[in-house]
Amino acid sequence: MNHRQPSRATLLGVGFASVIVFLLAWEAACRTGIVDALFLPPPSAVAEKIVAMMADGTLLANVLASTRRVMTGFIAATVVAIPLGIVLGTSSYARAAFDPILSFLRPLPSMSWIPLSLLWFGISETQKYSIVFMGTFAPALVYVIEATRNVDPLLIRAARNLGASRWQVMREVILPASLPQILSGLKIILGLSWTCVISAELVAAREGLGFLIMNGKEFFQTEVVVLGMVMISVTVLVTDIVFRAIERKVLGWQA
Amino acid sequence: MNLSRRKFLHTSAAMSAAAAAGGLSLPGMARAADATTIQYGGSAWLGHYPAYLAMKSGALSAAGIDQQWQSFGTSSARMSAVLSGGIDIACTGIVSALALMARGSKHFSIVAVPESFGKVEGLFVRDGVNSLQDLKGKKLGVTFASSAHLLVLDLLGSAGLSNDVTVLNVPAPEIPGAIQSGQIDAAAAWTPQFNRIRAMSGMKLLADDTQFSLYKKYNVTPGPDVLIVRNAWAEKNGEAVRKYLKVYFDACQTLRDKPDEAARSLIPLTGMSALDQIETIKGADWYNLAQQTQLLKSPGNYADGLQRLAEMLVTYKQIDKAPAVRQWVNTSYL
Repeated sequence: MNHRQPSRATLLGVGFASVIVFLLAWEAACRTGIVDALFLPPPSAVAEKIVAMMADGTLLANVLASTRRVMTGFIAATVVAIPLGIVLGTSSYARAAFDPILSFLRPLPSMSWIPLSLLWFGISETQKYSIVFMGTFAPALVYVIEATRNVDPLLIRAARNLGASRWQVMREVILPASLPQILSGLKIILGLSWTCVISAELVAAREGLGFLIMNGKEFFQTEVVVLGMVMISVTVLVTDIVFRAIERKVLGWQA
Repeated sequence: MNLSRRKFLHTSAAMSAAAAAGGLSLPGMARAADATTIQYGGSAWLGHYPAYLAMKSGALSAAGIDQQWQSFGTSSARMSAVLSGGIDIACTGIVSALALMARGSKHFSIVAVPESFGKVEGLFVRDGVNSLQDLKGKKLGVTFASSAHLLVLDLLGSAGLSNDVTVLNVPAPEIPGAIQSGQIDAAAAWTPQFNRIRAMSGMKLLADDTQFSLYKKYNVTPGPDVLIVRNAWAEKNGEAVRKYLKVYFDACQTLRDKPDEAARSLIPLTGMSALDQIETIKGADWYNLAQQTQLLKSPGNYADGLQRLAEMLVTYKQIDKAPAVRQWVNTSYL
């Protein structure tokens, strides 16, 4: 049997058609009353809301507020987790010392940090960054440790034999060798930081997609809730594309 | 049937003894076999006192009603449960009910108004702040989408300060801590947070619900409580709703006439001190059954006030359109 691989255009067409069919079925279910629009608004109502909020500028303001919080918390977590993870990944003593603390921090959901973060940072943007930071730091650290430990020991030994210092081994060997796995992990963590920002925006927020969803929920404006969810997905998709571009640039040597 | 609490307790004790003598010694089996089960959406807020009191005194059981108490943190969560069919009867802040009406929900009806609570919700400021104008440039914490939020919007709007005060969304339980640690300069809250803030040194009450613009003309506070029923359930259990309302307003009478006695039963629900509890009960005007028809009559002062409140929510962009409130009022169970 001769199986021809479908072209990229065909696959894109299938994907596009499935989205259209899904939206049409959803719209029809709402319009015919099979689904109560109070429980699930039709896509047309969501689209209408998107247009209205884009026109008055509130949608962009909310997207930017959440993106700023996500990126600040995520970058802060990354900046701390990468060097610390490399140290913990290469030193069994350091790992033995940190492991119990990491085991304690790792399962804590971002929501659980809200009361303490309020006491530490008050009602401020720093408090929201801290929620994203605390929700992403431990998982990011685990990814970096694992990536570091997976580096081929032969490479490290070879560098040592050639006279490289500990610092040089870390910078010139371990970091580049573990980078692909670290970046794969960070992509997942970036998605996680969007769940954290929703927790962060539950308290003392006046804008942001999390605030939009929660406020929409209070007034049963389900199209605003769905709009917020859609915007989170779109924003994650966009940041993912940006992240892939960075990955290609940073890991160009790997191609 | 106007039974006193003592009589109810005696009746309950007698029923329990009879059940035990009949071999029905398990607590769950002591209920009458034909009791109507009602899922009630409650919280520690004072609007739920009558339902809690009627349950704890045994008056509901004596009337053949088995009330299952389900707690909710917010009115919107409670109303979501009403929509999904999990709650049959609930007291709710009108803001949530109006938001649902604005969305066209026909799932529930307003059947009664338990009280008016103008004195246990208000705006607190630090000593030295003597007027709303003094709040210029300051941070004010309030739970968004609540009646206290509407009070704040109304007060700031009337004083021309809508854009001069930073209004922050702070969940009700976090407000006392936020003001104590200096994260906010002023706070609007309702009981029991109201009592906690009032007890703090250096704080004073700048305005309560009686300064709300609709209060003087209509006697309507920013978020009056209403008792609602889920229509699908109530249509099948009309007699149970009638019995419920009778017992409910007996409890309102106890709250009005014997606040000390009522307070003892309510402390497990609210965790307040006895003094605060009594004061909170006295802070509300408890309506009776006979007043209900007049209150909910349309056109009528109170019902018109509710309509104006709906229009005010549109003005403050809380809801998209004002519903015709009278369409959700059902006095047939009274």
